[in-house]
Amino acid sequence: MIETAYEYLYYGALIWLGLLILAMLIRSIIGPRITDRLLAINMIGTMVICAIAVLSRALGEGFLIDVALIYAMISFVSVLILARTYIPASGLRGRFADEERGEYEEARDSIGDEVLEGEAPGEEDSHDR
Amino acid sequence: MTGEWIRFGFVALFLISSLVCFTLAVTGVYRLGFILNRMHAAGIGDTLGLLFATIACFIAPAELSDTLKIILLVLFMWFTSPVSTHFLSQVEYYTNSDLYRYTDRDLSVRR
Amino acid sequence: MIKDYFDHWLDGECDPTRDIYEIARVPDASRSELKDMARKSREEIASRDTTRSAISAQKKGFYAIYTIVAIVSCIALIGVLLYSVSLLPQYGRVNPRAAAVVERYIEDGVAETGAINIVSGIILDYRAFDTLGESHVLFTALLCVMVLLRMDSKNMRNKKEDYALMMHENFFDLSHDGIIRTVAKVLLPSLLVFGAYVLLNGQNSPGGGFSGGSILGATLIIAASSFGLSRIGNVFTRRASECATFISLSFYSFAKGYVFFTGANGLENHIPKGTPGAILSGGLILPLDIAVGIVVTCTMFGFYSLFRKGMIGNDN
Repeated sequence: MIETAYEYLYYGALIWLGLLILAMLIRSIIGPRITDRLLAINMIGTMVICAIAVLSRALGEGFLIDVALIYAMISFVSVLILARTYIPASGLRGRFADEERGEYEEARDSIGDEVLEGEAPGEEDSHDR
Repeated sequence: MTGEWIRFGFVALFLISSLVCFTLAVTGVYRLGFILNRMHAAGIGDTLGLLFATIACFIAPAELSDTLKIILLVLFMWFTSPVSTHFLSQVEYYTNSDLYRYTDRDLSVRR
Repeated sequence: MIKDYFDHWLDGECDPTRDIYEIARVPDASRSELKDMARKSREEIASRDTTRSAISAQKKGFYAIYTIVAIVSCIALIGVLLYSVSLLPQYGRVNPRAAAVVERYIEDGVAETGAINIVSGIILDYRAFDTLGESHVLFTALLCVMVLLRMDSKNMRNKKEDYALMMHENFFDLSHDGIIRTVAKVLLPSLLVFGAYVLLNGQNSPGGGFSGGSILGATLIIAASSFGLSRIGNVFTRRASECATFISLSFYSFAKGYVFFTGANGLENHIPKGTPGAILSGGLILPLDIAVGIVVTCTMFGFYSLFRKGMIGNDN
């Protein structure tokens, strides 16, 4: 009697979480900016962790909690690296575009001509003059 | 025997409230207008829903090692989920040049 | 005379297309003059007749033929693959050709290998040769990426000319964040311990060398993003990573080579199997797990460091 009650509870929760994950997937396709999509992926990750924890109770297996912990770590690392890659990569088109482009081009042009002196180390012998 | 039913009652209570939190979070992400507002709904709803779900799995009949690992899971998620939201808001701040349209204050002063 | 020219070209002494495809190196010119010369040579190439006729031929017929050939070859490939999939036995049924092997693994697995986790017993005991090849593939992949991407003294022009590149990276660097540093100080020790737990538990529960190594690699990536890549590069130098992977792979090869030799000749290898369920059980599975874990960790962090900075460690 209790066993079937637990089963109904766990599997019902899993089905509802699956529907919520599908809703967030649609959000990740619609979302007009990239931050919307990253947020949707983060939420999908958290809901999957919740689902794995509930599944481990439903099946009675203990090692699925390890899987949930690893998944939590992987989703954290992925959001971290994506955010830190996207900010510098769009730096010249973002908020501080005008100021930063000016500063960056100034710095780049001020390197000067003494940089181009000297041979590249791999090209010392290929003169045909 | 009734002890088992009381335990089942508590597990059901916590699991259903976690589902309610997740539903409210998803509804908030769909209904709110701007990304920085959506982050409020997502961050708070996610973290609270995960806490309730893990408390439900904690109370449910299980072995000792599983319950200790669940505590580890909730500690890890409570450390890292707010940091992820912090980074997402940084992404929005640094790459959106029309932020002045959605805010009251002048955000053109840098860092 | 043409034969002398050909011999010169064959010996690598002259390069006939040098003034056509690249600008001749003029060390006294300033940066703007070099840009003008590049622009002029590009315009000259674009205004020739051969270039124009090639571009119009492309626009006319080439793309139509290309589309048709692409569609036909895709459909052919999909058809061949689906046909070969339809010849496999149905999902969930007993495969009549592999029944004897599967029974042997399931029934005699624990007794012969000493590991409760049959999957670990298969990949590190029955089929250890494949895992040896896989570890060598990881090592070779890291070597290939190093050959292609590493900035050392041969392909950095001057230390100053790629100054613009490094300034670009430092200009947009964002590791002054206090939040991630505080969180990482708490998280990283527990993540390292968890990775070691998954690695050492390969023979008793799902885990093993590959998953444990990935967790340790991801922990190092979190550390590099929080504290800056140069601080991690003080510890994780190129020599350290090379020595670690080399020693692990040699240990794997020699230990498993001894087992292959004794097994092929029918001798008895005296490696203790222990009681199933303890940590020190399963014969050679535990040391081989550690070796595979070290290779995977160094490979993952090496890829991250090479793609981001061009070198592993801080100097070359």
